[in-house]
Amino acid sequence: MADKEKKKKESIFDLSKYIDKTIRVKFQGGREASGVLKGFDPLLNLVLDGTIEYMRDPDDQYKLTEDTRQLGLVVCRGTSVVLICPHDGMESIPNPFVQQQEV
Amino acid sequence: MAATPTTNPSQLLPLELVDKCIGSRIHIVMKNDKEIVGTLLGFDDFVNMVLEDVTEFEITPEGRRITKLDQILLNGNNITMLIPGGEGPEV
Repeated sequence: MADKEKKKKESIFDLSKYIDKTIRVKFQGGREASGVLKGFDPLLNLVLDGTIEYMRDPDDQYKLTEDTRQLGLVVCRGTSVVLICPHDGMESIPNPFVQQQEV
Repeated sequence: MAATPTTNPSQLLPLELVDKCIGSRIHIVMKNDKEIVGTLLGFDDFVNMVLEDVTEFEITPEGRRITKLDQILLNGNNITMLIPGGEGPEV
């Protein structure tokens, strides 16, 4: 029982190393945003500054430059966050799963 | 709630920022293509929100939807982002 007490509310990931860094966040529902992480809590609610939101449209098929908007200082709901990654640590690559269709 | 694990106290807590916004305009972005702009009267632990003088925007059909007055209770289940002082999509 004493051991269970210790493990009550431990995050498996420490976001404090991302404070003041630009991160990219993906949400349930397909929204994406990136901004500078200013704060967070154990429930994964985030405070992002200088936030840019990228939106996905059916015909846009994940072209980032279309439909971005500047949102400024926002709070992101932790219940809606599905992915967090550093903005610098990723790049767009051509889809590796698509076979060249020659039929 | 639980004891703060390894967060340093001088950072900005998300719910504190929402709390500071009580009394001013806030722009709520939902998981789907809906956005709500209103004056924040309050919220609870689940971030259900009570808003006043509310305008509801539907983003895909490009246009403002309904303007509701009085007060609404917005279910926090579908809230994705909260933008203090936001005025909503400019269309």
